[in-house]
Amino acid sequence: MTKLIDVWGMNAEVQWVIFIILGILVFSSTAWYILGKVRPSKLATELQVRTKSWWIMCACFILSTVVHPVITHLGLAFLSYALLREMYPLLKLDLRERNVVLLCYAVVPVQYALAYYGKTEIFLAFIPVFMFVIIPFVLVTRGETQGIVRSISLLPYSLVAWVYGMSHLALLFQMPEIPGFTAGPEGLLLYLIFLVGMNDVLQFAWGKTIGKHPVLPRVSPNKTWEGLIGGVLSTTLLAIGLRFLTPLGIWEAAFTGFCVAVAGFMGDAIASGIKRDVGVKNSGNAIPGHGGYLDRLDGFSAAAAPFFHLIYFFSSAS
Amino acid sequence: MSNVNPSSALKPNSFVKRIMLVLLYKVFWRMIFGLVIGMKYIWADHVALKGPVIYIANHNSHLDAMALMTVVPSSRIHLTHSVAAQDFFGSGFKRWGMLHLVNAVLISRSRKASGEDPIEQLDAMLLAGRSLILFPEGTRGVPGSMGDFKRGVGHLASRHPGIPVVPIYLDGLYRNLPKGRNMIVPFGGTLLVGKPLVFSHEGVDEITNATQAAVESMALELKNANRLT
Repeated sequence: MTKLIDVWGMNAEVQWVIFIILGILVFSSTAWYILGKVRPSKLATELQVRTKSWWIMCACFILSTVVHPVITHLGLAFLSYALLREMYPLLKLDLRERNVVLLCYAVVPVQYALAYYGKTEIFLAFIPVFMFVIIPFVLVTRGETQGIVRSISLLPYSLVAWVYGMSHLALLFQMPEIPGFTAGPEGLLLYLIFLVGMNDVLQFAWGKTIGKHPVLPRVSPNKTWEGLIGGVLSTTLLAIGLRFLTPLGIWEAAFTGFCVAVAGFMGDAIASGIKRDVGVKNSGNAIPGHGGYLDRLDGFSAAAAPFFHLIYFFSSAS
Repeated sequence: MSNVNPSSALKPNSFVKRIMLVLLYKVFWRMIFGLVIGMKYIWADHVALKGPVIYIANHNSHLDAMALMTVVPSSRIHLTHSVAAQDFFGSGFKRWGMLHLVNAVLISRSRKASGEDPIEQLDAMLLAGRSLILFPEGTRGVPGSMGDFKRGVGHLASRHPGIPVVPIYLDGLYRNLPKGRNMIVPFGGTLLVGKPLVFSHEGVDEITNATQAAVESMALELKNANRLT
């Protein structure tokens, strides 16, 4: 592939995908603008607001990916932090446990620092092994046992789901050198983000157009079998089409795409269940048209770790 | 205005203090609220207000005054004073911080204590073109719930028809810095700036009730916007 422009040492593969993303954004902005003019509706307005937010999210993501890995790590760490911060008030934690909550926040920079300095073994064990014991112990030292089972389950879960999972995006920078693979960690990151993002959009689009039979009617009435199957299949095709960003062969890419799409759906469904239990529609109001951070990142936090391990497996097996 | 009460807060603010307040609130605290605490600002559409304004808000945390100062336009931040209780912030570092870092004005909560009517003191400030930040509940109260408004806001707004009252609803800041704690733990929050209310000849109670209703309806609106049906 040939480079389009030469800036920040960006490689050709990444540049091509950035241009594809910009193309999709320009296309959808134009399409929804025309739709809103020709046939104004609530859906058209919602799509316009959503697309506007996609522009901002893509700009932040692309800039933080291409400039320097430090910026990428800081950006991803901020997202993990924002997820915790957004979910803790919803989960109705005991306000007297503020010190333990502060400890959970402190885990975020440590986890991303471990990723940045390439301490992969400790990275993999830090939250699910060490913090899994330390946090319940700190809760116990408060001397108050009423309702402690709830906190002991919630706080480590929150770390695994929203810090450990997400931080695997940063661990992509520690992927061992693969001969003949030029897109680099930025390429892999872009591949996953593109797939999960498009998976959400495609499941939404298939569901809106031909969706009839709900998958999980009591958890998330808007998710349909048609949306799920259509989304998974189109994401798999997309994964094959964009495999120049990865060291994967055609079947490996198809399998990875399939797994990422299914994991994205699972993350989305889990988040829906949590939100339904605490009685809110959206996890927050940070991103206009999308809701809170979790509403946008639920799929990413579930798909990041499986994606990392699949890539690692395929690239070390061949 | 030369016939006003020579209260300490009415001394013209120096240029240095103005710059300091802008940096402290429009840059530093705005970043703390936006990035660290994760507070979402939601503005009702309204034209920029010129001249004195009375900002009112519900009160649950010491962060409330800081949050409101980040909403005040930079051009008037040195002319905007939070109204705080003399008996709580009356001495030592607390007093110095309130007067110089928060740009507050300290009043006594009861008329008997000082012999001076606190409302008259605030009257003079509005006449001199200063804006006020009031917490009409008078105290931080029970976490997460709103008490009845005291009549001070009614007295002030009825004596100064034409000065707009901007209702502000603060949601969730009591989690970040609860009463009785001194460490901020980020838990998010929302700040809703409502449409300005302008009163002409309404009575004191009428104005007090209208302002309380405005803040309560904003609270309800925020709650319903994200409620599962």
